[in-house]
Amino acid sequence: MPENAKNPDTVTLTIDGQELTVPKGATLLQAAEAMGTRVPHYCYHPGLSAPAQCRLCLVEVEGAPKLQPSCVTMAQDGQVVHTQSESARTMRTGVLEFYLANHPLDCPICDQSGECEFQDYVHAEGPKRGRSREPKRVFGRDDFGGDVLFYGDRCVMCTRCVRYMNEVARDPRLTVVERGNRSVIDTFFEEGLNGSPFHGNIVDICPVGALVSKDFLHKARAWDLDRTPSICPNCSQGCNIDLNVRDNQVQRFKPRSNLDVNEHWMCDYGRHRYHWLNRSDRLDTPRIREGGEWVDRGWTEILEELSQRLESGERPVTAVASPFASNEDLAALRALVDHLGGGRIVFRSRRAEDEIPLPGFPTLTRRRDLAPNRKGAEILGMERVGDDEGSGGLESEMGKGGVLLVLGDELADLGPDFGAQADLFVYLGSHPTPTQAAHLQLPVTTFAEQEGTFTNHEGRVQRFWPGLQPVGSSRPAWLILGALLARLAEREPPTRADQAFLHAAEVTPAFQGLSYETLGTRGALVNDPVPLPGA
Amino acid sequence: MSDETPNPTRGSIRERGPFRNPGWAGNTGEFDLTEDQVRGDDFVGERPLDGGHPSGSPTFPYMLADKDPEAPLFEGPYAQRFEKIRSRYPDAQAALLPALNLAQELRGHVSPETMREVGEMLGLSDAYVRGVATFYTMYNKRPVGRYLIQVCTNISCNLCGGDEVLEAFLAATETELGQISEDGFFTVMEVECLAACGFPTAVQINSRYYENVTPADVPDILARLREEGA
Amino acid sequence: MAYPYTHEKETRVLSRGFGDPATRTLAGWKALEGYEGLRKALGMSREEVVETVKSSGLRGRGGAGFPTGVKWSFMPKEKKGPHYLCCNADESEPGTFKDRELLRWTPHQVIEGCLIGAYAMQAEHVYIYCRGEFFEAVQVLAKALEEAYAANLVGEDILGSGVSIDVTIHSGAGAYICGEETALMNSLEGRRGLPRIKPPFPAAVGAFGKPTTINNVETLAAIPHILRHGGEWYRQWGTERSPGTKLFCVSGHVKLPGNYELPLGFPMKELIYDVCGGFHEGRSLKAVIPGGSSVPLMNAEECESCTLDYEGVVKAGSMLGCASVIVMDDTANVVKQVRRMVDFYAHESCGQCTPCREGTQWTARILKRIETGKGTEEDLDTLLELGVQMTGTTICVLSDSAAAPVASSIAKFRDDYLALIRRGERVGAA
Repeated sequence: MPENAKNPDTVTLTIDGQELTVPKGATLLQAAEAMGTRVPHYCYHPGLSAPAQCRLCLVEVEGAPKLQPSCVTMAQDGQVVHTQSESARTMRTGVLEFYLANHPLDCPICDQSGECEFQDYVHAEGPKRGRSREPKRVFGRDDFGGDVLFYGDRCVMCTRCVRYMNEVARDPRLTVVERGNRSVIDTFFEEGLNGSPFHGNIVDICPVGALVSKDFLHKARAWDLDRTPSICPNCSQGCNIDLNVRDNQVQRFKPRSNLDVNEHWMCDYGRHRYHWLNRSDRLDTPRIREGGEWVDRGWTEILEELSQRLESGERPVTAVASPFASNEDLAALRALVDHLGGGRIVFRSRRAEDEIPLPGFPTLTRRRDLAPNRKGAEILGMERVGDDEGSGGLESEMGKGGVLLVLGDELADLGPDFGAQADLFVYLGSHPTPTQAAHLQLPVTTFAEQEGTFTNHEGRVQRFWPGLQPVGSSRPAWLILGALLARLAEREPPTRADQAFLHAAEVTPAFQGLSYETLGTRGALVNDPVPLPGA
Repeated sequence: MSDETPNPTRGSIRERGPFRNPGWAGNTGEFDLTEDQVRGDDFVGERPLDGGHPSGSPTFPYMLADKDPEAPLFEGPYAQRFEKIRSRYPDAQAALLPALNLAQELRGHVSPETMREVGEMLGLSDAYVRGVATFYTMYNKRPVGRYLIQVCTNISCNLCGGDEVLEAFLAATETELGQISEDGFFTVMEVECLAACGFPTAVQINSRYYENVTPADVPDILARLREEGA
Repeated sequence: MAYPYTHEKETRVLSRGFGDPATRTLAGWKALEGYEGLRKALGMSREEVVETVKSSGLRGRGGAGFPTGVKWSFMPKEKKGPHYLCCNADESEPGTFKDRELLRWTPHQVIEGCLIGAYAMQAEHVYIYCRGEFFEAVQVLAKALEEAYAANLVGEDILGSGVSIDVTIHSGAGAYICGEETALMNSLEGRRGLPRIKPPFPAAVGAFGKPTTINNVETLAAIPHILRHGGEWYRQWGTERSPGTKLFCVSGHVKLPGNYELPLGFPMKELIYDVCGGFHEGRSLKAVIPGGSSVPLMNAEECESCTLDYEGVVKAGSMLGCASVIVMDDTANVVKQVRRMVDFYAHESCGQCTPCREGTQWTARILKRIETGKGTEEDLDTLLELGVQMTGTTICVLSDSAAAPVASSIAKFRDDYLALIRRGERVGAA
C-alpha cells in the first residue's frame, strides 16, 4: 500500500507558495478562496454560471503560455499558481485601467460607495489614475421598473444581472443590447422588472453602483451602516439576512448566504417589509391600571405585583401568542402557563393564497405563512386560530374569566372590550393595542432588538442577533416571563438568550440536543421535524 | 506632393483602361460576360416566396424596396417558408436569425412589435429577442428608405476613395447618415468590408452589390433606382 | 484562372471554374470531374479520408493555418449523438473576397467539400454559415444545392452508399465576430454571436452541444481535389510546411486587383509587380498588409524577400492569415488607414471582454485625435502599452487583431505619426 495513498476525489496544488488540497472540480479561484486569498473578479458568482469575460481574475499558472482565468480553470494536481506575480498584477492593473477609461467616477453621488468592488480593487491594485483623455461614453439613468434604477455609465458589463434573471429567477427580462463599447444592459423597452418577485437580488449582486434600489436611494452611506446577522421575519422560509441599521433605524434588509435555506437570495416581498421595525408608536414603560388610569412602574415592582396576582389568580389560564415571537419567548410563555396549571395557548397568523418559489433554487420559496415562527409555536403545542388575515379566532376568549396573557398580538381587529371579563389581563407587546381592558401592559422588544431563534417551515432553528437598541424599558419576553417564573417557581431565571434556549430544550423534545454553539450562523434541523399541515 | 495633387487611385483604377464596368461586379478583366451571368441571375431564376427547397429556405430573405411595416409575418407562402426553416434546426431558438431576416424582408425593419411576435412564435422572451436583434448590424432598428445604400469605407475601398463615394451619395440624396431622404427613396449608411475588395468601391444597395463605384457613377445609379422604384 | 484577371503564373485548382457561368451548374461541375472526389471518399473508410487530408498537409484557409486533417481527427470516433460540420462562409475580414467568388462561381465545389468532410467526421448535418450581405452568392449556392439534392448527391443514402447527409444554408445578419468559430456556433444557435471559452473545444462540445468542426470555405473547396488526386498530388505546389495553392486576394493600389490562385511560397514582389501589374506611374511601394487587416503591417524593405507561405511571412515580420494582400503605395496615409482598421474592430467587438470592449474604443479615439493633429508623443507610448494589454488576454483574438496594426505601424512608420504629432502634417492622402 503506497505511503501517502491519495484521495482520488481531491487534488493538491500550490498557490502563492502555499500547498493545499481541494476537492476535484474546484476552480483555481475557489481554491484560492479556500485558503483565504481573494482573487479580484466581477463576472463570476457562486450562484451563477461563469463566462470568464471580465478578465480580472487572470492568474499565472506555471507551464501555461498565457494567463489563465481562475474562475473556470480547474485545479489540477501539481499545478503551481501565482496570483500576486508581476504578470498577474500588471494584468489586473491593466484591466482596471480599461474600466477607468469610461467609468464616471461619481462616487460622491453613488449609493455603492463604501461597499463598491470597483473602489476596492482600484484602491488596492489599480493605476493611480487612468490615462484616458478621451470623452467617456454616456448612457444616463434608466428606470428598470420595480425597485431598480440602472446607472449605465457605472456598469462594468459583468452580466451577473442578466444571468441571474435567466438562470435563477428564470424570468429573462434583462438582456445586453448592442455590442462592443455600445453594449448596455436593458429590459425589453418599457416592459421593466415590475412584477418579477425576486428581481431585487440583482442590486445585491451588482458589484458596482450600476443597479441600485429605489427604496434605498440616497438614504444612507454604506460606511454608516451597522450590519447584524438576522432572519427575515416576513414568512416562514427563514431566509438569512443582515439588518443594515443607522441611527437605530433599519435602512434595508440584505440577504446572507446560507446554501441550505436561501442560497444567496431573498424575495422582494420579504426584502421590502422592514419598515414596521422602525415604527415609532412603541410601548416603552411597564404600567399598571390603578383607579382607571395607567400608572408607570418599574420592573421589579411590577413583576412583584404581577407574580402575586398570578399566584392567587383565578383559573383557567389562557394565552394568545404570536408567530413573530422567538422560540425563547414562546417557550418561556409555555413554561409559565404550564406552571400555572396549564392552559390553552393560541395564536393568529396571516397566510397568503399561494407560495412563490424561486425557479432556479426552489428550496427558497416565499411561503404561505407570512410570519417567521409558526413552526416554533406549533412545536411548543400552541394552536393556530382565526382566518388567513390574522383576525378572529378569539371569540371563545371573549367571555371568559381567569387569567388572560397576550404576547405579541396587537389585537388590532378587536374592540375595546376584549378581555373585559378576564380577572387578570396582561398585555405583553411592542406596540399599543386598541383593546382597553388590560390590567397590565409590559413592553417587549421586537426580534430585531433581542437575541433569539426562529424555527422555519422545515424545522430549521436559526439564530438572530440584535441590530437595534431596545426602546425605553422594553425587554425580551423570555426575560420577563423567565423572571416571573423564577418568582413563582423559585428557580434561577435565565439571564442570557442561550440559557433561555437551553431551558426550552430541556422540556421540548424537538429542541433537545441543540444549543447556540451547535446552531451557529447556519442553523440546524429540529429532531423529527414535523411538516406543517397545509404549509 | 500635396492634398491638391489628384490621386489616380481615386475611384476605380480602371478609369484608364478598357475594362470599366461601373456598378457591377468584376467583369473588368478578360471575360466576356453579361451582368446576369456575373450575378448568377440566369442560373438562379425566380425564387419562390415559399422558400423553395428547404435546404436553402433560411437564406431567402431579400432586402426589398417595397416594405410594409404592418405586414402579417407568417401567413400564406411565408408560413410555409417558416415551417421549412424551422425544420432545418434541432430547436426553435436556432431559427431566430432566419425568422428575423424573414420579418425584415416583409416589414423593412425590426420594430419592438416585430421582436415580440417573432419571440412568441419561437417561445423566446421579448428581452432575449431584443438582445439578439440589436447585436447584428443588418437588422434595421428604424425604418429606412426604399433603397438602403450601404457604402464600404473599410481599408481596401478606403485606399481607393471610399470616403469620397460616401460623400457623393450623401450629397446626391441630400441626407445625413442613416436618414431617409425627403422622397422616401434613399437611406445612406457606412458599412464595414463587403468582401468585394478587388472591385473598389463596393456599395450594397438592398440585396444587390454595386462594384467599382466612383463618385462620378453616383447620379447614374440613383437615377436608375428612382426609375426602378417609381 | 482567377477572377477578374488571369495570369499565366497562376495554378488553376480551386479557381478553375471562375468566370465560366457553366461551372455553377451540376453539369458544368461534373464536366470538371466534379463529385469524383465524393465518389472516391464514399468508397474509402472515414479514417482513410482523414488520413488523405492529413497527408496533403492542407492548412486551414480561414486565417489560423491549423492543419485540417489534424483538426478533423479531433472529432470523436465513437458516435454518441449528432455530429455537425459548419462551413464558415462569414467572410468579413477586410481585404478578403475569395470566399464570395468560390460561392458564386463554384458552389458545387464547396458543397462537395462539405459532403466529404461530413462523411469523414460522421456528421449528418452541414451548416453553411454565410454572412448576411451575400444575398446573391447565397442564391447561387441555394440553387446548386437544390440541384445536388435532386441528383441524390445530398440527403438520404447518397449515391446508394447508405450515408445520409443534409446541408442547410444559414444566413448571418452582419457581424464580423461571427466568423470566429465559437461565435459562429453561438450565432447558429440563435444567440448573440459571442465567442465561447475553450476548453471545451468544438470537437467535444460544439453547436447545440454536440461535436462540431468548423472549416473555412476555401479549405473545404480544396478537399474534393485532394480526394480525387490524393494527398501527395496536392504537395506538388507550395513548400514543405505550407503545401498547396492559395487564393490570394490582392487589393489596394495595384493596377490589377483581384483573386489570384498561386502556389504557397510565391514571392510577394512577383505577386505585386508581375501578376498584379505593379503600381501607377511614379508611385512606389510603401506598405503591405499580407493577411487581412488583423496582421502586422510590412514596410517595403520587409517585402523585398518575403515569400507568401505561413513560415515565410512570419520570417518577414508579419503573418499570412487569410492571404488578403492589401497594397499601399506612397500616397497612402498610414495613420488614417490604421485608424480606420481600429474603428472597424471597435465597431465589431462583441463587448464581452474588458480589454477588447474598452481597449478598441480607446485606441480608436486616440488614433482619431492623432489623425486630426491633436496627438502627443505620449499617446504613442500609451497605444503600445494598450496593445500589450489587449494581446493574449481575451476569450478570442479580436483585440489581438486590433493591436497588431497599431503596434506594427508605430514601429515601422513612426515618422508618419510624428509628422502629424509634431507638425500637423499628414503623410499621404489615401
